[in-house]
Amino acid sequence: MTSNVRDPLIVSRVVGDVLDPFNRSISLRVTYGQREVTNGLDLRPSQVQNKPRVEIGGEDLRNFYTLVMVDPDVPSPSNPHLREYLHWLVTDIPATTGTTFGNEIVCYENPSPSAGIHRVVMTLFRQLGRQTVYAPGWRQNFNTREFTEIYNLGLPVAAVFFNCQRESGCGGRRS
Amino acid sequence: MLSSAKHNKINHSAFSVSSSSSSSQGQNKSQVTMEEVWKEINLGSLHYHRQVNIGHEPMLKNQNPNNNSIFQDFLNMPLKQQPPLPPSSSSSIVTALYGSPLPIPPPATVLSLNSGVGFKFLDNTDTLVASNPNSFEGSARFGCFGKKRGQDSDGSRGDRRHKRMIKNRESAARSRARKQAYTNELELEIAHLQTENARLERQHEQLKMAEATQHQVKKTLQRSSTAPF
Repeated sequence: MTSNVRDPLIVSRVVGDVLDPFNRSISLRVTYGQREVTNGLDLRPSQVQNKPRVEIGGEDLRNFYTLVMVDPDVPSPSNPHLREYLHWLVTDIPATTGTTFGNEIVCYENPSPSAGIHRVVMTLFRQLGRQTVYAPGWRQNFNTREFTEIYNLGLPVAAVFFNCQRESGCGGRRS
Repeated sequence: MLSSAKHNKINHSAFSVSSSSSSSQGQNKSQVTMEEVWKEINLGSLHYHRQVNIGHEPMLKNQNPNNNSIFQDFLNMPLKQQPPLPPSSSSSIVTALYGSPLPIPPPATVLSLNSGVGFKFLDNTDTLVASNPNSFEGSARFGCFGKKRGQDSDGSRGDRRHKRMIKNRESAARSRARKQAYTNELELEIAHLQTENARLERQHEQLKMAEATQHQVKKTLQRSSTAPF
């Protein structure tokens, strides 16, 4: 990755558990209400109840992108046997636009973890062309890597993640 | 003879004491020598550092008043208190250790523990010095044996504790990674915002300058061409 080992995506093991190392090439802005999502931001279920505003970069409107939103720490980070949980899947997003212009294959389901602090990852992939994507039969045990292989999406072009825990969580701090 | 034995105890002649005690006929005589040995053990157990400068009689007198500790207490002491010592000093403790069970009937557990490791040292004094590191390892094992013997009853407890510890470690590692990732992200953002801010400020300055010069130009009157009607 162009950024060194200190890249938040690497330190948090998002690259590793969910994605392969990649270089950012397209801008990705995810905003929940007034809050723009930066890596590692702490968000509670109440703050992510509705789908966020997603704006992507690029230049050529003829390029199409896919957005995948997963939670790799289900049901709990210490025992993620349901890794990954698919929250949202939008395809055919034209460059410089947002998810509202795309095709919502799997509708947005708001994260609401009950145990532990979960990472929620949103990844952007470049499509080779407009393509038909079939929704998986269920949301859990999703595999982003496999999905990208099936649809020839290649490496990610952008990604961002935030941390989500239950509303009354202590924020990972005891005192 | 006792005093000389006491003096020579640390200099390899410790087993002369033990051998003499082993070959002793009278119970009284062995008990007296045993007391010496026990004192040495207590001394050894509590003044490890000083034992490096062995051979000083005054040191022998700095004994722990608590001479009533039993042999098992010495054995059951935590392993940390048994640091590696130079062979000359360790021999005294070792022989004191292994010499003691002979004259008096030792507790059953101690005897069984000893039998595997200790007796051979007494039989062959030549190998004593050479095998000193092993002796400490053997004595170190005494502390573990207690735990291993009770493994059946609280083995599952130990396992569960171990698993819990591993899980806690992983959780702690995740927590640290989370914190570090967020910190790195903030630092990157700060750097990015600072450069952008600098760029925008420069741009702002340039625009201000451009506007000022334009303003100046406007103030001076200029002659423009007039239509020749």
